[in-house]
Amino acid sequence: MTTTATVTAAPVVGFDQVSKVYGSVRAVDGLTLALHPGETVALLGPNGAGKSTTLDLLLGLKHADSGTVRVFGTSPREAIVAGRVGAMLQSGGLMDEVTVAELVGLGCALHPKAYKVTDVLARAGISQIADRKVNKLSGGQAQRVRFALATAGDSDLIVLDEPTTGMDVSARQAFWATMREQADQGRTVLFATHYLEEADAIADRVLVLHRGRLLADGTAAEIKAKAGARRVAFDLEGQVDEATLRGLPFLTSISVSNSGPAEGSVHTVRLQSSDADATVHALYGLGLYPRNLEVAGLGLEQAFVAITAAEEAKQS
Amino acid sequence: MNSLIKLELARALRNRKFLFFSVIYPSVIFLLASSQTGTVDGTGLSVASYVMVSMASFGALTAVLMGNSERIAKERESGWVRQLRLTTLPGRGYVLAKTASAAVVSLPSIVVVFLVAAAVKDVRLEAWQWLALTGAIWAGSLVFAALGVAIGYIASGDAVRPITMIIYFGLSILGGLWFPSNGFPQWLQDIAKWLPTHAYAAVGRAIEQSQAPHAQDVGILVVFFLLFAGGAAWLYRKDTLKA
Repeated sequence: MTTTATVTAAPVVGFDQVSKVYGSVRAVDGLTLALHPGETVALLGPNGAGKSTTLDLLLGLKHADSGTVRVFGTSPREAIVAGRVGAMLQSGGLMDEVTVAELVGLGCALHPKAYKVTDVLARAGISQIADRKVNKLSGGQAQRVRFALATAGDSDLIVLDEPTTGMDVSARQAFWATMREQADQGRTVLFATHYLEEADAIADRVLVLHRGRLLADGTAAEIKAKAGARRVAFDLEGQVDEATLRGLPFLTSISVSNSGPAEGSVHTVRLQSSDADATVHALYGLGLYPRNLEVAGLGLEQAFVAITAAEEAKQS
Repeated sequence: MNSLIKLELARALRNRKFLFFSVIYPSVIFLLASSQTGTVDGTGLSVASYVMVSMASFGALTAVLMGNSERIAKERESGWVRQLRLTTLPGRGYVLAKTASAAVVSLPSIVVVFLVAAAVKDVRLEAWQWLALTGAIWAGSLVFAALGVAIGYIASGDAVRPITMIIYFGLSILGGLWFPSNGFPQWLQDIAKWLPTHAYAAVGRAIEQSQAPHAQDVGILVVFFLLFAGGAAWLYRKDTLKA
């Protein structure tokens, strides 16, 4: 489902100028956003970006200091009581000393549009451990139990806060396959993550959050293009004309370090490029012979800094 | 909410250690402490019937205070309380389910002491007295259930056990549940008579003596109930806003 086809429908989630302050920290800062039916949305940001606070506000676990949060046009609590929201919290605790089946049974009993317990267990892939005590589970198994609680009933919106924390690669893949089934049934899915790859693979829309503000809102491809800058480093021997290097295409930043003023010295050049292939190609085109060439992706944290810098440059 | 009560109860009944200390242990102390014959000074009650009320009260206190305070503090910390807030369970449902399941365990802890006292120590009371005693001690345990909830909301997961233990033993011993408080020095007796546990056992003994409970004892229990329940409600609200 494309976003253009659904913008006219009532928003599943609507944030209007929402702020939440802890002491001097603005965890969420004037956030305005709308989620539409059927979207799979990733809330992407580094640790401390305000992802968890945003989800807590959405779920009514926290109250905004200013602005309004609406879920299906009502308060978060009303939406939950109506059984429209299923949620999985980051490291959300579970009830100890009961079995997986008993706990999921409780989740079903507390959901107005509950599925059968056996179905919920099967879908979450925990039928085999149904009789195990909750406090005897591995981290990944506990995550699946939390997922089962979030999908105990026919909710229209599923909210997941860093759901794959503590899972190994195969568990992660299996988890997202299960999650995709949920999305394919027409549900709106919102998940927080700090993995760009996860957002890229799963979401059809990515919201980038940084310091409590919405930095970017677009398809994963658009975000990747924005955050997809690469870091290129190489050494050049002899005379280096910095002005020439600055003329390289797709450059976003460059620094040249001099190891000595004398001829025959080695200069280390570090640059960032939005199209590393083209930049390196042009480098050779200049007749230069870069040594120890390294091309690497930017970490998400650096990508955010790059996007932030770009946004600020645009505003000024 | 019934589903949560059922699960809380199943969990409590599965916990052998908890069941031992709340249901079996009071009867064991009863047998040890009621070995003397004769009466307790100033009450006209036999040692056995005096200690029976003490231990029934102690058992009920254990059942409602010990499990809940620790569970609430730990489940608040682990995030289970938050997870429950994402369900249709009404806000107070969590505390009510905890209290209800504790009340189900406290009833056998009272009755088992009575059965042991009647069968082994020949304690004999009128039928109405047995019923009134059961009802009074059961209902009175609500005071301490509210205290348990309040402790659960005030203490952190690490601190909750020692805090509960200090309050539990303090209330049990100073309130005269273990030894008659009239053996205490006078200054301690003056303090002890204002404790809710002292009033709790005193109400039971008044029923054994075929008397109406003293207004002061009932008053103390009511005041403490309002204090603990009010405190628990306030702390619960504070915790909800913070979480």
